[in-house]
Amino acid sequence: MDLKELKEIIEFVTSKEEIEELELEKSGVRLRIKRSSNHAAPRSPATVRSGMTAADTEGLTSAPPPAASQQEEDLFYIKSPIVGTFYHAPSPGSEPFVSVGDFVDKGSVVCIIEAMKLMNEIESEAAGEVVSILVEDGKPVEYGERLFAIRPR
Amino acid sequence: MFKKILVANRGEIALRIILSCKELGIKTVAIFSEADRHALHVRFADEAICIGPAKSTDSYLNVPSVISAAEVSDADAIHPGYGFLSESAYFAEVCESSRVKFIGPSSESIRLMGNKVRARSEMDRLGLPVLPGSDAIHTEEEAVATAEAIGYPIIIKAVAGGGGRGMRVVQNRGELLTALKTAQAEAASAFAVPYCYIEKFIDRARHIEFQIMADEYGNVIHLGERECSIQRRHQKLIEEAPAVIMSSELREDIGSSVVRAMTDIGYSSVGTLEFLVDERNNFYFMEMNTRIQVEHPVTELVTGIDLVRDQILIAAGEKLPHRQNDIHFRGHALECRINAEDPVTHKPSPGKITSWHAPGGPGVRVDTAAYAEYVIPPYYDSLIAKLVVHGSDRDEAIRRMDRALDMFVLEGVKTTIPLHRQILRNAEFRSGKIYTKFLDHLQNNRARAVEMA
Repeated sequence: MDLKELKEIIEFVTSKEEIEELELEKSGVRLRIKRSSNHAAPRSPATVRSGMTAADTEGLTSAPPPAASQQEEDLFYIKSPIVGTFYHAPSPGSEPFVSVGDFVDKGSVVCIIEAMKLMNEIESEAAGEVVSILVEDGKPVEYGERLFAIRPR
Repeated sequence: MFKKILVANRGEIALRIILSCKELGIKTVAIFSEADRHALHVRFADEAICIGPAKSTDSYLNVPSVISAAEVSDADAIHPGYGFLSESAYFAEVCESSRVKFIGPSSESIRLMGNKVRARSEMDRLGLPVLPGSDAIHTEEEAVATAEAIGYPIIIKAVAGGGGRGMRVVQNRGELLTALKTAQAEAASAFAVPYCYIEKFIDRARHIEFQIMADEYGNVIHLGERECSIQRRHQKLIEEAPAVIMSSELREDIGSSVVRAMTDIGYSSVGTLEFLVDERNNFYFMEMNTRIQVEHPVTELVTGIDLVRDQILIAAGEKLPHRQNDIHFRGHALECRINAEDPVTHKPSPGKITSWHAPGGPGVRVDTAAYAEYVIPPYYDSLIAKLVVHGSDRDEAIRRMDRALDMFVLEGVKTTIPLHRQILRNAEFRSGKIYTKFLDHLQNNRARAVEMA
């Protein structure tokens, strides 16, 4: 079995939604493909997010992934470029920058992340509809953490 | 006492710090780059925060990210480990102004010792012997005149130096100017400061360093010496304590002058003063490292003291837990650095560890953050594990190390294990006749032997 054959098999299997697991052994090569049913992004089990109590973490894992069904339609995720505290509004009590259902443009400010007493305005890197807000106001976020799901226009 | 410490490092030292915190009942926060998501320091800390991409300048060296991680996790202190931000006076200052305790000396002490020329003249003033040397060299004429006055051979060193970069040995006038230029270029790229200075070079020297510990109330003690003469490209490979040449009188002599100098500059935390020692056992101060060092375990094994724990206690404002009279040296300790590198060419060998068994048994300690299936990323240093042994004397320690190296199973990447075994079998090493060029000579001889065969 060469690399090309392997690729073809993997492509075929992943194109068939109903196949969840496949094991194949041929001429000394053993291939095992396992697919998760909702393609949810893997999260390292070792990672505990800062500032979260055990209850927070439990809530996070026991609740069904909010974007699970939409993930298949190629949502764009705005990720945090820095470590800091997430704020959805320019100041406490004021209107949030964006809410679910709003349309944002590339470059629109979507939130603030406070790092070292500096308020960093975070801009959307894509134009589209805000499908979900993945972080609660005032919560810490780490580098690369998903903040918003956007359905691109 | 601190409630929560952010460990601003990775690899074995991050894990080492976490161990002491666990024993002290202090919560820990690990920070990690995207390349270290599956690292053990992330696994064993109470919390972990991803602070940036793999490149260390964007993650472990990124001051705003590290401070921000301390703020969001509510950490009251930061332990910088070694390398990365551990000797950044600027970082220590930012910690001071952000009301996060930097576990290390004051930013002034770091700044003083970070400038190798200033450190030299300050230690000279305080009575430590130094080699004949110069201030920062600015012109070629200055370099020529200085080298002439000191007398060849000389060594060119970076003012901001460390880790062997920006260093060149010069045997005669003909080599001087080229060597100066390459040293300056190396210094500029490694430390962003091109300035170099000139010092007398001792051909057959030992590298021996003194471990000190000081609190915020002016109490200073020394914990004896470590011999680190087995090096390649100015990077240590094997360390031991005590040094073969050391007598208790000599130790007391150097130790007490070191303690006096540290008391005088008001140093607080752990630290190491490095000396060159010539063939007549004259000590010359080279530089001071204002952090915990890679090779600290050999001192821990012969003194029975947890240096990282005490460093944390001192930073929390506690008095030194030991007096000089409490410090006793027992037996002999050796450390071999197991690096992911080719044992002959010293080229790094990152990759996946396919099989792994760390040795154990009496007197054996392994400080590591590696495990089977762990992938050594190419972005950071190549240290996989520190294999440290303790024996009743040097002979027993060497035999113990040899069997521990034999029982170390580490496959998938090239390591320094074969090189260590070769060094341990060498008659000169066994008799303690070691010097900083030992490894160069050993490897040159071997290369010659191969050519002749």
